[in-house]
Amino acid sequence: MHNSKAHIWFIAPAIILMIIILIFPLFLAGGISFTDYNLGNKSLEWIGLENYEKMFSRKTYVKMIWATATYVIVVVPISVVLGLCAAMLLNSLRFGADIYKTIFFLPVMATLLAMAIAWEFTLHPTLGIVNSFLANGCGGVREFILGFHWLPWVDSQQSWYHVACANNMDFPYWLKQKNTAIWTICFIGIWQAFGFNMVLYLAGLTGIPRELYHAAEMDGAKSTWEQFKLVTWPMLGPTTLFVVTITTIRTFQVFDTIEILTKGGPSKTTYVMMYAIFEKAIQQNLTSIGAAITVVFIGFILILTFFQRYIIEKRVHY
Amino acid sequence: MGTISLKNISKSFGSTQVLKDLNVDIIEGEFLTLVGPSGCGKSTLLRIIAGLEQQTSGDVLIDNKNVNRIRASERDLAMVFQSYALYPHLTVRRNLETPLRLRDYSTFERLPLIGNLSPNKKQKTESINQLVSKTSETLKISELLDRKPGQLSGGQRQRVALGRAMVREPVAFLMDEPLSNLDAALRVHMRSELSELHNSLKTTFVYVTHDQAEALTMSSRMAVMIDGNLLQLDTPQEVYDNPSSLSVAQFVGSPKINIFKGSSDSNGTVSLLNLTLKRKSSESNLELNIGIRPEHLEITNQSDENTFSATVSYRENLGSDIFFHVNTEDGMNRIIVRGIPQLTHEISSGSKVNIRRVSNKALLFNKEGKRVQFNNA
Repeated sequence: MHNSKAHIWFIAPAIILMIIILIFPLFLAGGISFTDYNLGNKSLEWIGLENYEKMFSRKTYVKMIWATATYVIVVVPISVVLGLCAAMLLNSLRFGADIYKTIFFLPVMATLLAMAIAWEFTLHPTLGIVNSFLANGCGGVREFILGFHWLPWVDSQQSWYHVACANNMDFPYWLKQKNTAIWTICFIGIWQAFGFNMVLYLAGLTGIPRELYHAAEMDGAKSTWEQFKLVTWPMLGPTTLFVVTITTIRTFQVFDTIEILTKGGPSKTTYVMMYAIFEKAIQQNLTSIGAAITVVFIGFILILTFFQRYIIEKRVHY
Repeated sequence: MGTISLKNISKSFGSTQVLKDLNVDIIEGEFLTLVGPSGCGKSTLLRIIAGLEQQTSGDVLIDNKNVNRIRASERDLAMVFQSYALYPHLTVRRNLETPLRLRDYSTFERLPLIGNLSPNKKQKTESINQLVSKTSETLKISELLDRKPGQLSGGQRQRVALGRAMVREPVAFLMDEPLSNLDAALRVHMRSELSELHNSLKTTFVYVTHDQAEALTMSSRMAVMIDGNLLQLDTPQEVYDNPSSLSVAQFVGSPKINIFKGSSDSNGTVSLLNLTLKRKSSESNLELNIGIRPEHLEITNQSDENTFSATVSYRENLGSDIFFHVNTEDGMNRIIVRGIPQLTHEISSGSKVNIRRVSNKALLFNKEGKRVQFNNA
């Protein structure tokens, strides 16, 4: 039994496949990133860290890191918190929960391509439903609410809404404007991601024994917030860990919305890593710089995985 | 401190009525057991007392104060759950501290870091620590304080659940089948521990169980519930000796009471099988169910007017007792008789035996299961 080689036969197919489709390309990309190879070149030269130097010095790549970081830092927490809130709200509903579940989960199931085209029309600066909705609301309740006139420190003559109304309906161009494009993309990302998180949280919530809430109530946890702190949040620990990890990886990989809606623009404000890899390595045939971006991308994912594996996991109760 | 009164409590889930107009007065410091077969509504009643469930109609009074509109967390009761419901992510120490922290600290003091600035917090923390160590010593769980519930055995978890209820001094303890997840030996052991605990704490205990043995051994009074009705509320001895109805008689006692079909004639003389009873029934000309407990029947060699013959079909040896399942000659009754091992060890299944009844022990019930008394005359 001890000399049996059977175990090798069992794991060999998986290992061989992993080497061929994962590990080997990874090392290949790593190798290429240190050269000046472009697709179609007959020869290549070792140029060391030059590609990486470019990445951290050239404006384009700095913008790329910014865009990616902004997207991840905005989308992950908001979509996780929204998913949790939606799940808890739906969990407390007696009727109609199924309808809301379907509505919130629809963006996850639908083809992102079709959804992105729908968003493109919706957010069109002149023809879009969003801007015509805003334009029709000038001077009305919409202006009061969306212009934040209800906040005591907002001057109703100076609010963004009022100014836009006064300047011949000069509403934001959303995807076509430097200071709004990334936030609009973030909004679409949240809209698309939170339904998935909600479903995961719903599953997590059903796993919490009701008796724990009763025990908390008997122990004197009066407010919903206290019961949430004592029971719901810790019991959802494993779910949260999973949700955060998977959302982070998915947001790092954002590509389709960018490709369809902005192509990385305007002036590279939505130039996220995945789109940069696509543009450099596939469209412009600059294989070596594409490989360098890929290596950095994998580095980020590895750091995240490490963080999840060794730091958060210790604090989560299973 | 510690009286609980239930007045005309009813509870329906949809169209099914699970509790039907119950009235119970729980005396201060007593150990009251709610006992009944599963589905009789006893857990629901306990949860109504706790405030975790709202009664459809009726009033709950704790210390003569109506608590219908007071929520569970403010009724000052402590509860031990069947599944223990310990917080799995907290250590045993934190589990025990939780009820104290939630009640003693103010909202501000419970804030992380900033809360420590409160001048009273240090003192409160000290008193909490003291209470926790006192409780854990009483329950002998001091060495478990730094473990998580997942690392404990069933019996240890049970103690921790008990400890969490005990740390603060509640008006009453409510226990929902706390021993049912333990193995048989530990369950018997915990019975005596719980009784001792009750004696030393002198707090009101309300204890729900489906196990009539637990009810008989531990309680100062037991309430027998069947199908949402409270059938009898009395001391265990009284319930056992003097059940109010056939269902109570059949539920309490193990093995089950033997029921014979019989009748009373115009004089009130009761006859069953080939026997007649000396005592006369208070109601004449009646079809009767006559209940005789297994220990009030004995196997004998003689045959006289107080014996009947039967065939042994199964022999159940418990060591200290042997129970014989026998069929009477007319084939109508399958009954259980207790035998003393020394006298009956040679009797095996299939053998014919004579059975004598111990006089003055029979219980009479009418066709509807109501108790029928004997004439004292």
